[in-house]
Formats: sequence, structure tokens, C-alpha cells
Amino acid sequence: MFKIIIQSLLARKRRLVTTALAVIIGVAFTAGTLMLTDSMGKTFNDLSAGAYKGTDAVVRATKVFNDPAGDQRSLVDASLVPALSQVPGVAHAQGTVQGFAQLIGKDGTPVGSGNAPTLGGNWGTVPGLNPFQLVAGHAPQAPNEVVIDKHSANLGHLAVGDTTTVLVNGPPQRVRIAGIAVFGTSDNLAGASFVLFTTPAAQRLLAAPGKFSQISFAAALGVSQQQLVANLQRVLPRGTEAVTGATIIQETKNTFQQILKAFSTFLLIFAVIALVVGGFIIMNTFAITVAQRTQENGLLRALGASRRQVLGSVLVEAVAVGAIAAVLGLAAGFAVATGLKALLGVLGFALPGGSLVLTGGTVLVSLLLGLGVTVVAAISPARKAAKVPPVAAMQQATAGSTGYGSKQRVVVGLALLAVGLAVLFYGLFGHPAKAFQTVGAGILLVFFAVTVLGRTIALPLSRAIGAPLPRVKGVTGTLARENTMRNPKRTAASASALMIGVGLVAFITVLASSTTASTNATTDRTFTGDFVITGAGMGGGPVDSALPAKLAALPQVAAATGESVGAAVIFGQVEQFAAVDPGPAGQIFNVSPVQGSISALGQDSIAVSADTAAKHHLTLGAPVPILFRDTGPQTLRVALIYGDPQAAPGSNSGSKPGYFLGTPAFNANFAPPHSYVQVFVKKASGVSSAAALAAVKQLTARDAPGATVQDQAGYKAEQAKQVNQLLYFIYALLALAIVIALLGIGNTLALSIFERTRELGVMRAVGMTRRQLRSTIRWESVIVALQGTILGLVVGVFVGWALVLAEKNNGLSVFSVPYRTLVIVVILAGLAGVAAAILPSRRAARLNVLRAIVTE
Amino acid sequence: MANAMTAPTARLEQKTAARTEDAVKVYGKGQTEVRALDGVSVGFAAGRYTAVMGPSGSGKSTLLHCVAGLDTLTSGRVFIGDVDLSTLNDQRLTILRRDHVGFVFQAYNLVPTISAAKNITLPLLLAGRRGDRAWISKVIEITGIGDRLAHRPSELSGGQQQRVAVARALASRPEIIFADEPTGNLDSRAGAEVLGFMRRAVDEMGQTIVMVTHDPIAASYADRIVFLADGRIVDEMHQPTAERVLERMRRFGE
Repeated sequence: MFKIIIQSLLARKRRLVTTALAVIIGVAFTAGTLMLTDSMGKTFNDLSAGAYKGTDAVVRATKVFNDPAGDQRSLVDASLVPALSQVPGVAHAQGTVQGFAQLIGKDGTPVGSGNAPTLGGNWGTVPGLNPFQLVAGHAPQAPNEVVIDKHSANLGHLAVGDTTTVLVNGPPQRVRIAGIAVFGTSDNLAGASFVLFTTPAAQRLLAAPGKFSQISFAAALGVSQQQLVANLQRVLPRGTEAVTGATIIQETKNTFQQILKAFSTFLLIFAVIALVVGGFIIMNTFAITVAQRTQENGLLRALGASRRQVLGSVLVEAVAVGAIAAVLGLAAGFAVATGLKALLGVLGFALPGGSLVLTGGTVLVSLLLGLGVTVVAAISPARKAAKVPPVAAMQQATAGSTGYGSKQRVVVGLALLAVGLAVLFYGLFGHPAKAFQTVGAGILLVFFAVTVLGRTIALPLSRAIGAPLPRVKGVTGTLARENTMRNPKRTAASASALMIGVGLVAFITVLASSTTASTNATTDRTFTGDFVITGAGMGGGPVDSALPAKLAALPQVAAATGESVGAAVIFGQVEQFAAVDPGPAGQIFNVSPVQGSISALGQDSIAVSADTAAKHHLTLGAPVPILFRDTGPQTLRVALIYGDPQAAPGSNSGSKPGYFLGTPAFNANFAPPHSYVQVFVKKASGVSSAAALAAVKQLTARDAPGATVQDQAGYKAEQAKQVNQLLYFIYALLALAIVIALLGIGNTLALSIFERTRELGVMRAVGMTRRQLRSTIRWESVIVALQGTILGLVVGVFVGWALVLAEKNNGLSVFSVPYRTLVIVVILAGLAGVAAAILPSRRAARLNVLRAIVTE
Repeated sequence: MANAMTAPTARLEQKTAARTEDAVKVYGKGQTEVRALDGVSVGFAAGRYTAVMGPSGSGKSTLLHCVAGLDTLTSGRVFIGDVDLSTLNDQRLTILRRDHVGFVFQAYNLVPTISAAKNITLPLLLAGRRGDRAWISKVIEITGIGDRLAHRPSELSGGQQQRVAVARALASRPEIIFADEPTGNLDSRAGAEVLGFMRRAVDEMGQTIVMVTHDPIAASYADRIVFLADGRIVDEMHQPTAERVLERMRRFGE
């Protein structure tokens, strides 16, 4: 039996290749993702370990609260360094400062892509506690001297002795490059840039004078990390803590691992989609080959093979295909990982060199997935093969069933659809604990239900889609249309694979379009003043707090205010608080005051929206307890109750519009340096927008280089651009599933043509030209592709609509269908159908007419 | 046979619808070489019904395929009308088959996805022509499938399917029709019907038919029989009867 299986496998080499390709792609993407994230994990772990190599203990402020950005800690006093140096077991101590610093390159533009962190710090003078090593120049000695990392030096074309600008919290700094350093052996920290000042300069520019972010300690010979920490803890003042070097390395690793995990999960979702689509292709291919081998299997049964042996023969074939595909996929994974790494580099997350990490886990997961998907997909065809009665050997093979789907099937399909919709809507509106997973399961079920119903829908759908063909293409059109209708089951399976890919494209497209439309609608209502200025750097760096006053002094400007944002705990929740200058803000923000006014927002005041006031029973002058990171628990008093939260400060920077502060309260409770995330500008009346914009831009370019000035249209365009960047990235990932689906259409087509050899021969004999034959097959492919596309669009747009409906109150206020994009998708699908038909139609056209019609 | 008796026996200036000149077809090479046709020169007169017979392996099917432009000769020439087939590329050959040649095969010879009516007019549809409506009506009338036109092949009996196939072969008013064992898959009654229609097509519509068969009764419908053995023409018979054919065939066995 085994010999027979191997022989039949070898006889079908070509088909195996196309079948396996569907699995190979999915496995390659899985393996590539795992390899990449393992490599990144190792890199980050090495970097974390390197950063704290000589550090045996760290003293820092205790955590006040967590927010999504990480632990919120205050600064520690510099005076702790000499004091703690006396603690037994301490060999050396080094205070360190870390903060925002954006280097400006030789060409005057910010260094880096804007996607990786831009960090500033102090050059450590204690040997063993400084992870950097100079490769050129010397350590910073004057306040205007800095050391930068080699990667940034290369990117910014900066050399020792050059003078350039560094943006920090506060006015831009003119600095001289005193030295260039590498980090351990790596010249690059995953794209992050470093600017290292002298300690006093770093304190002044990045933190606060006389303060450190944390203090690192090296233990004396023979003193363990635990011992050192214990000794330190005995003398630490309140509000500070000591942890071992090992702990801090672990914390850093954990932070990276969390980001990595989110990243790999994101990529693996697409790998799974590719594998599911691949599974469809395999199932279809096996179903067709099993149908074509009905006579052969009947013969095997007649000769004494048991059902189990026939079942086994198909499964062994699946195992062989799966195993080969999994191994090849694993190998191709290296290419995928390399490609993804390069892609990340383009996006600004350059990874340090180093070979890809291949773990045993990756090998195991890839092999099991490839094998598993193939075998599971082959089970149903295998069972069908086993049901072939021995008498089939004697019967004329009827090629393929033409099932339209039984009644039970329709019932099961509809039931599945109902369950899927129920799960989907429960996930969206029922607020379950695992909303994301529930919605995902619902979407999966809906897709599955449509797949089950596929063969019932396929017939009318093929007829409808192909309806214009007979008129346009004559008899070749008629034949193409009829061919898609002759085996609805096969057409449906072929189309289903494409449906999934296109459905997800439609879903994402609708989501992106709705997001942009909603953001635009919000912007229309919340865009305050005439221009917004955003700082340079990752996610918009800080803007110098002196800028608004300088802008306000321009004759073209009526008023300008900066907006600060910081996290604090209110009513037991960590919220982002926006703060604006109470003077000019009154002219710029029209928050529809109910009671009080913006100008009344002093050092211990808070503004609350009318909704918030009602919810927490707050009246003008009522006390509101807030926990700040730097000043601890404070009580602010309500100085303003406003009616329009959409128009309030912070509404366009992601903070909750239920509260805001005045700059005095913000500066009193958040440690310096004080700077702004945005600056709002209102032009003077009687000045043209263009003139005012030009004046604002000129001043900003001089005093806050790298910052962007946008009017409302520009702001909208920027927002849309960010959404679209992500959208294109996801398109690229979904293209994978679509390519697999097209391979499937081509494969099914090739198998069907093989089945129709005689018929094609007859048509060629009675006068169908090769061109006409190719056209028939091409149009058949186009109909199948369009069918998958249309089903996908319907399901995708529907799910998108449901999600937008569910997130109505979370910023997705507008449902928008990007018709133009969807029309392009349909056209592309048609062209893809043409492409999928190229090889099968060529082969069919080359068919030897005589051999096709001669019966044996 | 009644039909054979009433067939027009003598046309003074008979045109040749198709002919071969020293046709040679060799399959394989060296040890496995098979000369399926070994210098066949034969003409098929227009307006006549010719049968080609011979024991299996005699090259009768190969001859038909080569004359019909479905296969190419190793050497020698084939003409349909005045056209030398060896001068045509695949495109021209296809169009020649479409416009000037009709085919009836043993079985499976209809396109399953389209109606009987569409099958009949398929060559015309492929050519993008409407064809001669009156002629097609007559074809349908003679083959007696007028009430089955809207049906798909799978809804027709074997005999009906073969009648549709004959109708298709006639529809474009070809210069010559080739039939390869047209009754091979039919029971005797259905076979007789199909053969009857083919006879009528020659008699009443002036068509030219070349038919390969091994069935003496089928062959007896023809005006003339060409006997092949080992790739050569070995005999010829005019106005055959089933008995005479059977008698001749028996001699092949000796």
C-alpha cells in the first residue's frame, strides 16, 4: 500500500508543488515571525544586560502609579549620591539622568525616523557604571559639549568637533560634539538615539537641577547584590527604593518582551490567516484529486484494500505534502525574517547586526503547523475517498460532484451564521471580559458560515456575476460562465479562500476610512484656534515653553497657548491631564462655560466638564482629590464647569476631555522640565491666514527647529497619513493571504481543466482557437475571483460597520465606506483572476487535440 | 440495403472533397517504430458517403485524424478542398476545422455545460456567425431533435446526444464530415437511427461524409468502403451490403 501511495505522489509532482506552496507561505511567515521576534528578544536582552553590566544596585523613587506608558516615578535628590556612597559595600555610585533629547543633523533636520526613542542623559564618569565606550573624541567637559552614539552620528553626518542643535524640554541647545560612543559592542540601540551631556547640564536640561532619575551602584569586592541592596535600604529616605542590578535588568527585559509580544502577536495573526486560507486550498485540491481518482480508489477497494487503507492512503499523502511544505516553509522563514528585519530598518527600528535565532520551539511550531493544517484539511476528502464503493472501478468516472449543498447544509450554515453574528454582536455590545477575542471568534464564525453556505450561494452568484459575459464575449463567455456553475462546490471552495483575504482587506479599509472620517469630524469640532504646533521627535516631542509668548508677540497673532499633558490619578483612575495657559486659552478654547471661567484656573484649580460634575456631584469650588507623581496626593478645587468637552484642551491629544488644568496647577504638580506637547495659535483679526501662517512658521523654524505648524487642513492630512501608513502595512501583510488564495484558484482551475481534457479536445476539434480557449479559462477564473471578492466585500464591510457601530462612543462616530478603494479592490481582483489563469490556460491551449479526444 | 440502393451512384464529374498523397505516419523511433500509415493515397469524393474499415491497428483512425487536420503526417500531403493542410499553422488549421469540417466522435462529444441548441451551433458561435438559419432548421428537422433543443446533453439519451452531434457537424454546412465510430457507444436501434440521418444528410443535403467503423452494418450505409491493413489501402468496395462487408472482413483474419 505504501509503495502505491509514494508512486502516486511522484506521479503528481507538479500538483504537489502548487498545493504545498499554499502551506509553505503560511509556515514561512510563522517561522519568520518567530525567528525575528526571538532574535529581537535576544538583542534586547543583550542590550539590557549590557546597559546595567556593572550595576549591582539601583536607587530610585518609589512608583506612584502605573499608566500605560510605564511606571510613573519621580526624581531623586542628587545629595543622596555622596550620602549613599558611604554605605558599607558600596564601591562606586553614579547618579544618572534620562530624558528627551532630539539631535538635529548636519542638514538641519531631526536625526532618526521619528519612530524610535530619542533619549538624552549624562555621561557617566564612574568606570564600570557607564555602558558607553568612546570611539572618538573625549567625554563632555563643558555644558555645551555632548557625546552622541555612533549610529546617530552616521545618520546625522556629524563628526567630533561639529556644532549642532539638540532639542530638549526647553529652548533648543547649541552643542559641540565632543565625542562619539558605542554601546557595548553595538553601534546602535534598535534605532534609539542618545545625546549625553555633562551631569549638571543633563540635570538642568533633562530633569531638574540637583536631581537624578536614579542612582546606580557598584558593589565592593565580595559584596553580593542582595547584600548591597539590604545595606542601602537601611538608610534610604522615604519615597525611595533600592533594587538589585539583576532586578533592573529583568524589568528592562520584561518591558521589551511585552512590546515584542504585542508585535509578534500582530504578525502571527496574519500568519494564521495565511494558514487558514492555505488550508482551504489544500482541502479543495485533495477533494478534486480524490474525485478524479474515484475509479482508481474503487479498483483498490475491489482488489481488497479496506476502507481504512484508502483513507490512510490519502492521509499519508497529506502527511507527505505537509511535511515537505513545513520543512521548506521553515527554510523560507529565514528569508521572511530577513525581509521583515529590513522592513523594520526602513521604518527606523534598525536592529543591531547578528544572526537570526532559530529555537527548537520555532522548528516544532512550524513543523506541527504545516503538518497539522495539511492533514486536517485532508480529512474530509480522505473520508470521501474511503466511501468509494468497489463497484466504482467498473463505472464511468463522473468527474466531481455538482452538489449545490444539501438542505442540512443550508440549515447548519444559517445556524452557524446566526451563532457567529450573535457572538460578534455580544463581543461588540455586550462588553464581555475578552471583547477582542470574542469579536475575533464571531468574525471567524461568520466567515466559516459563509463558507459552509458557499456552495449554495455559488450557483446564483456565478450566474449573476457572469450574466454580462455571453453578450460581451459570445460563446466563450457563455462557456466560462457555465464552467463556474457546473461544480458550485468547487467554485465556492476556490472563492472562499479569496473571500477571507478580501474580507479582511475590506474590513480594515472600512475601519481606516471610518477612523479618518471620525477624526476629521472631531477635528472640525475640536480644532481650536487657527494653527497647531507639534514638536519634533517620536510621537511629537516637547515644544519649548517660551514659544507661546514669542508667538503672541507677533503682530499677526492674537493669542497663543501651550498645552501640557501629564498622567495623574483621579477618582481611582489614571488619566491624562491636559493643561493650558489660563490667560490666552480663554481666547482660543470655546468650551461653553456653565460656571466659572478658564482665566480662573490657578495653581490649585481644576476644570471639569458638566457631565463629570454631574457624575461626581461637583459644584463650583468643590474639592477634587488627585494623586500626582511628583507631589503626591493634592486637593484641587473646581474653578470651571464647562459644557463642551469636545472643544476642551486635550480633546485632540488623546487625554480624556472630562477634565483639564491651568498651566499653574500643572507646573506646581509636575516636576520640571516644563514644556508643551502642542501650541495653539489664534491669528489676529484682519490678517490673512496665509500671512499669519507664514509668520508663525518662520518664528517656529527659528526657535523650535523640527516642529511642525499645521492649519486645520494640514492637521487632518497628517492624521489621515498616520492611519494610512498602518493601513498600507496591514495591506502588505494581507497580500500574503490573497496571493495564496490566487494560487488556489489557479490550482483548482488546472485540476478542473485536467478533468475536462476530452471536452476541451472536442471544442478545439470543432473549431475553438487557442485564443478562444484561453479566454474561456481566463473569464472562468475572473468570475471565481470576483465571487470571492464580492462575498469578502459584503462580509468585510458588514463586520466593519458593526465594529464602528460598537465603538460609536469611543471616537468612531462616523461610518465611512471608501467606495473608490473598494471599486479598485474589485478591479484588482478581476485582474488577479486573469493572472491566476495564465498558467492553466496556457497549458490547456497547448493541449494535444487528438490525444484529448481519443478514447483508450 | 434500401438506402444504399437509392443513393446517387454516378456523378460524372466528381469533385474531391479531401484527399491524401502518399500519406505516411510513423509513431515512435527505432525499435518501437510503428508505421501507422505507410503511403496512403486516397480521395474522398464530394457528395458521397465513404466508410474506412480495417482490423484494429490497421491505421484507419490515424488516417481519419490526419485527413481531418487533427494530427500531422510524417510525410506526404493532405488536402481539404484545394488547401494543403501542411501549410497551415494551428490557428489557420483550427479555423479550417471550424468553417469547413464537421466531426462526429464515438462518445462524449458534446459540451456538457451548454444546451443542445448551442452545441449544434457551437462552431458557428465560435466563428461569431449566425449561420444559415433555414439550413440549420432543416438539419434539426432531419435529425429529429427539435423538441430537445433546450436540454443539456446530460438530459439526453445516448442516441439523442449522437444525433445532436451529427446536427452540429452539419450545421456549418462543412465541405466534409468525419465520423469516428459514431455508433460505437450506441445500441443497435439508436445506432441505426444515427446512421440513417447521416445517409439522409448525404442524399438530401448533398453532404460529404467519411466514417471510420469496424461495424459491417454501419459500413453498409456508405456508398464506398476503403479497406486498410497495416497502414496501406488493401481493397475498396462500392455499394456495399453488410453481408459482403462481413465476408471481406473475415478475410483479414486469415
